[in-house]
Amino acid sequence: MRRGAKIETLIEAIIGGEAQRSVQIAEQLLKEGLTVETLIQEGLTSALYSLNTKCTNEDFNLLEIMLAGRAMMAVMDNVVCRYLPPSRTGETRPEKTIVLGTIEGDIHELGKHVVKILLRSAGYKVIDIGKDVPPEEFVSEAIKHQAGYIGVSSLLTPTLPSIKKIKEILKRQGREDIRVVAGGAAVQQASAEDLNVDFVSGNAFDLLRYLDGIRDELT
Amino acid sequence: MNSLERVIKSLKGEETDRVSVIPQVFGVTAKLRGYSLYEYVTDPSVVVECQIEARELIGHDVVYAFVDLTVEAEAMGAEVIYRRDAYPVVKATIKEASETDRLRIPEVTRDGRMAVILESSKRLRDLVSDTCPVVACIVGPLTIAGQLLGIEPLLYQIVDAPEAVETLLDMTEEVAGRFGRAVIQAGAHGIILFDPMASPVVVPEDVFVRMELPRLKRLFQTFKDRGALFNWLSITGNCKRILPYYRLTGADLVTVDYQVNLSEAYGLLEGMALTGNIKPYVFISSTYDEIKEKARECLHEMADCRGYLLGTGCEVPVDAPLDGVRALVDASEEFRRDHVR
Repeated sequence: MRRGAKIETLIEAIIGGEAQRSVQIAEQLLKEGLTVETLIQEGLTSALYSLNTKCTNEDFNLLEIMLAGRAMMAVMDNVVCRYLPPSRTGETRPEKTIVLGTIEGDIHELGKHVVKILLRSAGYKVIDIGKDVPPEEFVSEAIKHQAGYIGVSSLLTPTLPSIKKIKEILKRQGREDIRVVAGGAAVQQASAEDLNVDFVSGNAFDLLRYLDGIRDELT
Repeated sequence: MNSLERVIKSLKGEETDRVSVIPQVFGVTAKLRGYSLYEYVTDPSVVVECQIEARELIGHDVVYAFVDLTVEAEAMGAEVIYRRDAYPVVKATIKEASETDRLRIPEVTRDGRMAVILESSKRLRDLVSDTCPVVACIVGPLTIAGQLLGIEPLLYQIVDAPEAVETLLDMTEEVAGRFGRAVIQAGAHGIILFDPMASPVVVPEDVFVRMELPRLKRLFQTFKDRGALFNWLSITGNCKRILPYYRLTGADLVTVDYQVNLSEAYGLLEGMALTGNIKPYVFISSTYDEIKEKARECLHEMADCRGYLLGTGCEVPVDAPLDGVRALVDASEEFRRDHVR
């Protein structure tokens, strides 16, 4: 009971965006004997899904999501990492790997950063290839990193033709197995068909749900 | 009834010969005369030529002295990267909100491209006189701060260093105020203030109320004192949560973006004049007839609401064909014929 109450406190601290307090509570929980796996599953993952619920209604705003993401990453980087075994090299799982970038002609990265934080918190390997990235590079990086997905972000409508090219290039290279998802303000007004992508994501959690759905299909 | 009379009457909720049409057409007009976006955002003669040409083609009720959203930040000292066929982008110039000593309060006639807007306002007014509203565009305090500091650092520092952010916002407010007064002085009839960073999609309602609302109130008052016929507030995204506060800003007109239903917005705005909410992407994805149908839907929805001006929820994309924008004016004309207002 006591542990449950403390985990609730951790979840509240993360959702409230209190990074320092979240780290302190997580440290304390592990010292008291909680396993790091339970901390992730009952603490971080629950916090993530509480945010998810929040994002589906009109309360969504970037600032609160970023603060919660920062608190979650602080726990991951300062606490969880010290207790987890180092990952083995060469253990890339395409269904858990995504190449993420902002399309050429656009240098906005905020939305991409939010997505990166949340996907990493949810256990995905995220390869951030930066901003102003040509479509060809999305494809070459995805192949290089054995990623199952390409995530392309855009805030500006003039960049949309470049997004459309990604799947054309994948097709030419016989890699249609790599799925393309688009997010960001510019793409919200368009359909997946308009953009020639597999999925248009309304927000970071929408993307997470989509990826989890695909992963479950594949595993 | 000329366009200025029509718009002013619309803003007051008075009867007009047809619904005013004020789509946000800026860089999209450059191609009418074969100019690049770079030429558009740096040369007032290009802005004027294209805005006048666009109005002749479309027949809408406004001309804009607008280039892009980086003018104020650039004039304060930020580096701006120009491209031939895209709007320029700004690079963050400070790391902490407290570094205001690394920024300058610009001299509006000299620094950056503020003179492009001033000159465009003047020349447009000389050309249209009082037959059509000349609307000059300025950027609001939160967005300028986001450009100087970077959006992500600004958001974190709103929480981590609120006092320093307030100081930075005092400075950006002063810049917006000086610039707004100068464009009115130069000849603009009214001002449209863009502040996308103030959207509830980006910051919570309490940040809007605490950091933005009092500044908008002061800015709009100072523009009115300088002779602005109207102030137009344009914040993109789903702004439903902050619409009830708009009345307190002193704005005469507000934009409603496509995510918010027009009738619901009208209720929340308690009778304020509003424009919107045609989705900008339809000008790329839809035919003339489909766009006209969307415009008709807006006109029908707002038929009993005084103070509605037909327009877009945000800027018409630069790569959209302008024929589609003409559909808005045609819809308004047809609506007038069908419904005597």
